[in-house]
Amino acid sequence: MNPLNDWINGIRSLLAPAMICCLICSKNGRPSAGLPGICTGCEAGIPWIRQPRCQKCGRHTGCPDCNRSGQSAPILYNRSAVAYTPVMRELLGRYKYRGHERLAPLLGLMLDRAYIQLKAYIDHPQNFTQVQSRQLPEHHFLRKKRANPASLWHADLLVPVPVSDSRLMERGFNQAERLADVLSRVRRIPQLPLLVRTHHTGKQSFKSRAERIADMKYAFAANSDNSVKAQFNSWLSQVKAPGRPLQILIIDDIYTTGSTIRACAEAVQLMCASHRRDAEIYSLTWARS
Amino acid sequence: MRVSVYAAATEGRWKLWISVFPAVDWLWWSGREECGWNSNKSDGLVMLSSGMPLGWGVKLREKMEYSYAMQKWTAADWRACIIDILKREIRAEETARGQRMEEWAWELFDVRDMGDGRAGWSERDAGGSSDEEELRIDTPCFMQELSRNADRLAALLSGRSLLQPEVEALLEEQAEGTGISWRAAAQLAHLQGRLKLEAAVGHESASGGGGDVSGTGSIRWKAVRAALRLPPLLWRGAVRRRADARCLRCGSAATGRTPCAACGLLCCAYCEACLALGRSRSCALLIRSAASPAVRCTAAGTSPTAAARRWGLSAAQAGAAGAALGFLAARGRRAAGRGPERFLLWAVTGAGKTEITFPLLDAVLAAGGRALVAMPRRDVVLELAPRMARAFPAETLAVLYGGSPDRWIPGRITIATTHQLMRFHQAFDLVIIDELDAFPYHNDPMLAFAAGQACKPDGAFIFLSATPPRQLQRQASFGRLPHAKVPVRFHGHPLPVPQHLTMNPVHLCIKKGRLPRAFIEALRGSLAREAQVFLFVSRIAHIEPIRGVLRRTYPEISIEGTSSEDPFRAGKVTAFREREIRILITTTILERGVTVPRSDVYILDADSSLFDEASLVQMAGRAGRSQEDPAGTVLFLSPRWTSSQRKAIAQIRTMNAIARRQGYLKGRK
Repeated sequence: MNPLNDWINGIRSLLAPAMICCLICSKNGRPSAGLPGICTGCEAGIPWIRQPRCQKCGRHTGCPDCNRSGQSAPILYNRSAVAYTPVMRELLGRYKYRGHERLAPLLGLMLDRAYIQLKAYIDHPQNFTQVQSRQLPEHHFLRKKRANPASLWHADLLVPVPVSDSRLMERGFNQAERLADVLSRVRRIPQLPLLVRTHHTGKQSFKSRAERIADMKYAFAANSDNSVKAQFNSWLSQVKAPGRPLQILIIDDIYTTGSTIRACAEAVQLMCASHRRDAEIYSLTWARS
Repeated sequence: MRVSVYAAATEGRWKLWISVFPAVDWLWWSGREECGWNSNKSDGLVMLSSGMPLGWGVKLREKMEYSYAMQKWTAADWRACIIDILKREIRAEETARGQRMEEWAWELFDVRDMGDGRAGWSERDAGGSSDEEELRIDTPCFMQELSRNADRLAALLSGRSLLQPEVEALLEEQAEGTGISWRAAAQLAHLQGRLKLEAAVGHESASGGGGDVSGTGSIRWKAVRAALRLPPLLWRGAVRRRADARCLRCGSAATGRTPCAACGLLCCAYCEACLALGRSRSCALLIRSAASPAVRCTAAGTSPTAAARRWGLSAAQAGAAGAALGFLAARGRRAAGRGPERFLLWAVTGAGKTEITFPLLDAVLAAGGRALVAMPRRDVVLELAPRMARAFPAETLAVLYGGSPDRWIPGRITIATTHQLMRFHQAFDLVIIDELDAFPYHNDPMLAFAAGQACKPDGAFIFLSATPPRQLQRQASFGRLPHAKVPVRFHGHPLPVPQHLTMNPVHLCIKKGRLPRAFIEALRGSLAREAQVFLFVSRIAHIEPIRGVLRRTYPEISIEGTSSEDPFRAGKVTAFREREIRILITTTILERGVTVPRSDVYILDADSSLFDEASLVQMAGRAGRSQEDPAGTVLFLSPRWTSSQRKAIAQIRTMNAIARRQGYLKGRK
């Protein structure tokens, strides 16, 4: 309206701290330092799983599942970035079902924190018997200087959990693959779509635990695409894993009962066995319910 | 998705078509004599691509310039022409992939002359058809059935603008068990010209149509404005700006670009503004029905007095309804072609706006049209729906909001939140927009665009508001916008005029821990006369401290605070209405739509910049709404006067003066 007001507002906006439109609360706020695109308030509200109660599956609450079965599970450890609270459920829904793909870098970087945690646990499991310190988001270049990188744990390959073809056509993207992309860029770990979904299992979110586990048997198989096979073979010949099994990390958006992850791990294990290689399978998910 | 793109010639004229079910196209252009099918055989058919990303196909269709020379074009000519039209897109893809076009796009442009042969059509890159269907598709019986299905589909989708998953959901609900294969039926209806197949993100210009509040200024002003805008346009690159991808549904610029598995492109654009209604992207199929002309309301049989009697309107309401009816009837006689016409119904708070719309809806329905009432929020929609059902028991009513069960019901009256309008395209003869100036409609170009799209080009808009935006007020007073005022409440008593009371800013009072005596006295007066007290504050953070201070002053009275962040808001409002809570401290969240009998309004920090003229008028409008207690107290408490406060009081006074002059006020002379 008033040109003077426009001017004053313009000058004020020059002097004001930079504000961004937060991806989570869609309000204008001060940008957070650690994660791109969200405000400090939302960053403070993220329910990070900093101290998993179950060191095996990375659950933040008591975990009867890992104790229940007792059988040797196909994955060694799972780590998840956040607890699946209603806010996080909404966020994941917006990314996955609504297709707000701009969230992918954010969620991917959140997943990276789970990676750091997994690495920290495997490198120094003794630290985790006591109360764990809260210094996780540490700059990794410092870490590199401190220790010999060869002796420390790192993943050799990322494998995203696939979605079925019809779902891929419907959504236009595989949510786990996009997350793996981010992690792959940040950590410089190659990723390969080794798996395909052999049958369409329908939405997992509508099923009970027993149904999910039954459904997931044989749901995944090796990708028969020739270019992927060739890439896998060349990766196998190049990978530097002297005297230790391959360390393969399965990536998914959410770990609920773990049946998806376990089925994938079994399929990957079979693939490696067919190439006469030993593999340790780990998994990383964005959320843990 | 990917579609087939082909060119067909009839009598030497070429035209590009896109197809989601090429077998139907083949049959159409083969010129079989069958009801609902084309009887003219095409002179030439050239398949340009059997699996092109939809967005590219639609762009080709829009941008291709046709000539008679196409008859002699070779495959290479066609390819060159296609690549020329799509050069921007192709360049973007090349940059994203880091590969030359030849390496990834060779199968996209496999141009083949079809002539008469059927062989080329059987490829089904774009299809989802089963083999069975393909085998029996050219039998007359099947063609008739498909034609019937196309009729049904066109009827079901009339006035709609739906994405492919939405069409599937609609058919599942509305045509369950009939086994309509929507692809074949939609393709036939498209060839017949009854459905339009569009890419949901395209390059169509995003003019808001009639829903645009700004309206049309004079031509001279437009020229001046355009000249002022020119330099920045040049800076940003006018050409690029014009060619920005826009969402056809909501009109926003589609900012997201992502790799897409459905069309195989790395730069598939999607719209981030309307994600909540399903993702609209440049390879998502948007099916729209072709527009039909709006109905004409006749003035006969809808005389204002008859309407007033039928709907029980007061004199002031009947006057406004009469003016609006006159507008609807006169519309037909004016020159058409400049988009929907607009009418402003400026009715004070508590005037009974809803009742005024009944005769208008009735007039449109009687003429055989469809009407829409758009409300700002879901709770208002739910409140209006039963009243509307009682008023029009014979009509089908569709009540739309996020997650409503009536989503796919074709209603003659539709009551919807403004977001739902994106699912309609040129569907309604009359669009009534309630609370035009309220959140979320106000300042959201996306919703204005959606509203403009929902109305037929020759339909009519009626805006309802107690506090129209400045721009509309000015247009109305200069006579550029037809309007009617309802200056008095339904009970015929004047609006309570706010009083001003000087008081320290709230944060100082909170710091001192006590409130000024004048305020306490006034509050005591309100409580003594058994009134419910609305206490508006400018900030959520003030609610609790003020409540604490008041608690100490009035320990025996139940005082509650609520805000947009309060999960128990609905419960507290109900309790307040039922007089269990006597003082409710709140923010502008309750400035509209809440009617509490026998209430007084106190506005603290009325000079705050968060309270504009419209908010102050709306908040003041919470007082004296019932017949039993028409005069309430409204107090503006602030250290100083501001222009917003003055203007709000002036507006209320003006309305009272108009009411007095027109003789609508009861009792007092």
